Amino acid sequence: MTSHAEVTRAPAPARTLVTAPVTFPRVLHAEWIELWSLRSTYWTVLATLVAMVLIASLMAVAATVAPPDSGTAPDGTMAIGLGYSFAQVVVAVLGTLVVTGEHSTGRIRSTLAAVPRRVPVLAAKAVLIAALSFVLGVVGVALSFLVSYPLLGSAAAADLSDPQVQRLFWGTGLYLAGVGLLGLGIGALLRHTAGAITATLGILLMLSTLVQLLMMTSDWFTRMYPYLPSTAGERIATPEVTTALAGAPVALSPWTGYAVFMAYVVLALAAAALLLRRRDA
Amino acid sequence: MIEAHELTKRYGDTTAVDGVTFTVSPGSVTGFLGPNGAGKSTTMRMIVGLDHPTSGSVTVDGRPYAQHRSPLGEVGALLDGRAVHPGRSAYQHLRALAATHGIPRRRVEEVIELTGLQSVSRRRVGGFSLGMGQRLGIAAAVLGDPRTLILDEPVNGLDPEGVKWVRTMVRHLAREGRTVFISSHLMSEMAQTADELLVIGRGRIIAAGPVEEIVRSTQDDRVRVLSPRAGELVDLLTAGRAEVVPVGPGALEVCGMTSAEIGEAAAASGVPLHELTPLGGSLEDAYLSLTHSEVEYRSEQSLQESRS
Repeated sequence: MTSHAEVTRAPAPARTLVTAPVTFPRVLHAEWIELWSLRSTYWTVLATLVAMVLIASLMAVAATVAPPDSGTAPDGTMAIGLGYSFAQVVVAVLGTLVVTGEHSTGRIRSTLAAVPRRVPVLAAKAVLIAALSFVLGVVGVALSFLVSYPLLGSAAAADLSDPQVQRLFWGTGLYLAGVGLLGLGIGALLRHTAGAITATLGILLMLSTLVQLLMMTSDWFTRMYPYLPSTAGERIATPEVTTALAGAPVALSPWTGYAVFMAYVVLALAAAALLLRRRDA
Repeated sequence: MIEAHELTKRYGDTTAVDGVTFTVSPGSVTGFLGPNGAGKSTTMRMIVGLDHPTSGSVTVDGRPYAQHRSPLGEVGALLDGRAVHPGRSAYQHLRALAATHGIPRRRVEEVIELTGLQSVSRRRVGGFSLGMGQRLGIAAAVLGDPRTLILDEPVNGLDPEGVKWVRTMVRHLAREGRTVFISSHLMSEMAQTADELLVIGRGRIIAAGPVEEIVRSTQDDRVRVLSPRAGELVDLLTAGRAEVVPVGPGALEVCGMTSAEIGEAAAASGVPLHELTPLGGSLEDAYLSLTHSEVEYRSEQSLQESRS
């Protein structure tokens, strides 16, 4: 055993490896590797696209078999404009898992020890999830158009020169990007997979129904309805509403709706970033 | 060099770490010894910024861990419990960590080889044994070739060959001038690995110093004596500064005199001895007496508090 006097004279460690400072592009690279080294990522990508294509096919088939005298002409726009509603479930789960998966497994400790400033980790995850969800939305609508076109025929299929239809392509991408980020934010806040998925899907799928029921009790709910995360956000991904029923809530314009939706998303992410800095890992 | 000053961590009413102040110097292996739940892991997590101290501070090479620009080059840590996603391969786990510091793939392959994980590195970590998981944790700790190494119970789950490997590795790293801080709840393990010792019990530092010194200071120095004339012997020995406790008919436990001194004193007075046995305890006894006294001290204190 070496004596104390000897050890204090030990030379400075000869480090052979030069480690670079932690920068945002490096954290982004690390998160990219993490994202694509999990099977769940591939499954969610596949599930999102399959869901969108299936919905488009069903809508197209339904449109062609509708009796001609029912007054509803086959509508190709609806065929590509509904896929988001199913895709959002998968994308919300993906956004949640990217962060809760780290917490439930303990991997977060490795990550935060490597990036002790912490917030860049959340920011890098946000960039990747937003980008991936956006691409999934656009590709999903494109695939939906491709499968519905032969089913509906050129006359009934969505008209690509229509600006409304064009908006559905990137609008679905934008909405899903927001949904992925909402899942990420709530996941980072709750740090628990089941809880975060339940909360995110509750906000996206059940909150509007709940408020619809409450409309009977007070006008306040009717006025609030268009400003819910889902009802506001969906506007960018759905065909423009042309006729409003009397007494029904007035939907926001696509961009206003999206701005309201993203305000919720930013709020969730900001709260998550704040808590990420403060909490013990 | 790790410097902690009045480091404290409270979780609600429980105080996990209670105002500890210590320095871990480079060039030697410092053992962090204490029973389970003594505050070792919490202290180590605070060093690398995973847990925030309730009060006090801790720095590594003069700065809080989070303020280092390239933290994995400063400190490599193996902390308790797995810090790995089971769905990812060992290689991808290390690759992602390496990417945050621009560490090349070559180095990732290097630490995989160093820890003997070549044959399983492409497999998902979920199927790893405890020992393999521990090796992966060590691979991650040395990935950035850090100046300071913090290992929480590194030999847990390793086979004898692995235990020996860890021991050799940390001693080698310390000889290179690195700071090595390694925790264990086993005194025997520390005695074989560490140069310096920091003993913690109930969140407080009980003892600190070179291993031999601590072992010596806590070594049991009682001697068991059997004599048919034990009564006479008690008078004889208590006259010469020893403490004597009768433990049975004709049996005594003597504290404060060596067996040689007792034997000579008895011979000088013509008292026959049937047995003269130094109880000189094992390392584990020494350790138990250290942590035990901490417990006793605590309960005595609370007793006094409740009386007043």
